[in-house]
Amino acid sequence: MTLPAIDNQTLTHIAAYIGGAVAMGFGAIGAATGEGYTASRASEAIARNREHAGDIVKNMLVGQAISESASIFSLVIAILLLFMEVSDPGIVRAASLLAAGLCMGFGAIGSGIGAGVPAGRSCLAIAYQPAISGRITTNMLIGTAVCQTPAIFAMVVALILLFKPVGSVAAFPTCAALIGAGLSTGLAAIGSGYGGGMAAGASCEGVARQPETTTTVTTTMLVGQAVSQTPSVFGLLISFILIFKSFPASTTLSASVGLLSAGLCMGLGGIGPGIGNGMAAEGAVRWVARRIDYAGDLMRVMLVGQAVSQSTAIYAMVVSLVLIFVV
Amino acid sequence: MDRLGEIYQLLIPLPGYTVTINLQVLVMTGIVFLLALTFGFAAGRKKGLLPGPVQIIGEILVTQLYGLTEEALGKTHAKTYAPLICALFIFLLISNWLGILPHLEEPTRDLNTPLSLGILGFVIAHYVGIKEKGFKTYIKSYFEPVFFLMPLNVIGELAKIVSISFRLFGNIMGGAIIILVVAHLTFNILLPPFLNVFFGLFVGTIQAFVFTMLTVVYISVQLK
Repeated sequence: MTLPAIDNQTLTHIAAYIGGAVAMGFGAIGAATGEGYTASRASEAIARNREHAGDIVKNMLVGQAISESASIFSLVIAILLLFMEVSDPGIVRAASLLAAGLCMGFGAIGSGIGAGVPAGRSCLAIAYQPAISGRITTNMLIGTAVCQTPAIFAMVVALILLFKPVGSVAAFPTCAALIGAGLSTGLAAIGSGYGGGMAAGASCEGVARQPETTTTVTTTMLVGQAVSQTPSVFGLLISFILIFKSFPASTTLSASVGLLSAGLCMGLGGIGPGIGNGMAAEGAVRWVARRIDYAGDLMRVMLVGQAVSQSTAIYAMVVSLVLIFVV
Repeated sequence: MDRLGEIYQLLIPLPGYTVTINLQVLVMTGIVFLLALTFGFAAGRKKGLLPGPVQIIGEILVTQLYGLTEEALGKTHAKTYAPLICALFIFLLISNWLGILPHLEEPTRDLNTPLSLGILGFVIAHYVGIKEKGFKTYIKSYFEPVFFLMPLNVIGELAKIVSISFRLFGNIMGGAIIILVVAHLTFNILLPPFLNVFFGLFVGTIQAFVFTMLTVVYISVQLK
């Protein structure tokens, strides 16, 4: 059997279909897991405090709706990939469509799981402190919304990959650079999204434990989440360099593989620091709520610990930059 | 859709090279300055024991931010740096909110604004560090725990500028791109106002606060 010859139009369609499948397929993992966690905590909460079942269910549904947004981003990208009119079919466009799908698919995993954690913990928190359910829900909303940042970064890179005009660039190594760009932001978002969720979860518990510490707990949570997101910010930076830098034409395979590896390195290298920083933030937030008088010291320890854990992401960034600019 | 990420620029050709000025960003930053000054004027114009609504908002903002700065930096340093922190927050808040008005765009959407503010915070933090610890101790802190880790410590410090500015830029730019694309896909029906509330008001406020707090934190890390 011989395969029919593949022209540019077909190649672009193939890439768009695979990209769409990957975007929605991987994108469904995180949100579904996170929502399931939320529902399980909500069951526990209702079992502990039956009278406030209404508040708990309402809080659960609001939290799940926000966890869902990561997979809604994936759905938007997948639909765009399937139905978008491509004006400039070709191998570079095909690579950019595939990269957009990879980026959004991986990028939605972390934020989906992460956003489920504060949503679930806040249900439990309401069961323990029904009197301040409004404040707990607000705190949960802030936490889950900040968890979405890595997914938003992934969506931005995916949209830029979809809509940026290809122009006349060298097909190689630009194709590899674009796929690297997608992997960089997409993979790095996994750790950051989940890490941010851990910090937010601890803050919901903390608010319920000591309602009068809300301001400090929320501030610590926001700073902790922001630092947890640093690996995904590095991923975004590497993606932007890979997308917007024009690379000289090169027929050697090593030039292409180098750029692809740059994205892969930053993406994989960002997963661990994101989760680690989230753990540091979770611990700090939890203990700030219990010992508010030590808040300053706890925040400082969190930042120093996160900086050390972050250094691995910085090593990954250095290697990526070397792969892009030196090798 | 082709306008994605487009900025109006003024190109001044000089012999040898071209000077690029982002006109749009300059005009928008000017508008932010005007709004911030108007707010400050309205808040401080009729100071009274019975405050007006604008004065209350101003007082809440300043008290809260002053309190947060004092917590992180201590009483004496807070007196010096809290005005800067308040100004930074108000500037960022108005900048991030500007995009919800039609025909106006957030100055923070252009990387130049967050990057310059990030460098500003970085320079101040290190100035405080040198002033507080003395030049020798300050330099020595880069050679810890082992002397050959110096390059990585320096890169780690520089990475702070990258992370703080790209976080703000990515969030605001991302919101703007998502609003543009969704508005285009839904023919501007129903969804865009809600997205504006989420990305403009909510995410904008949170990111302005995060940027401000991180600047405070960077200063406080240098103090110890």
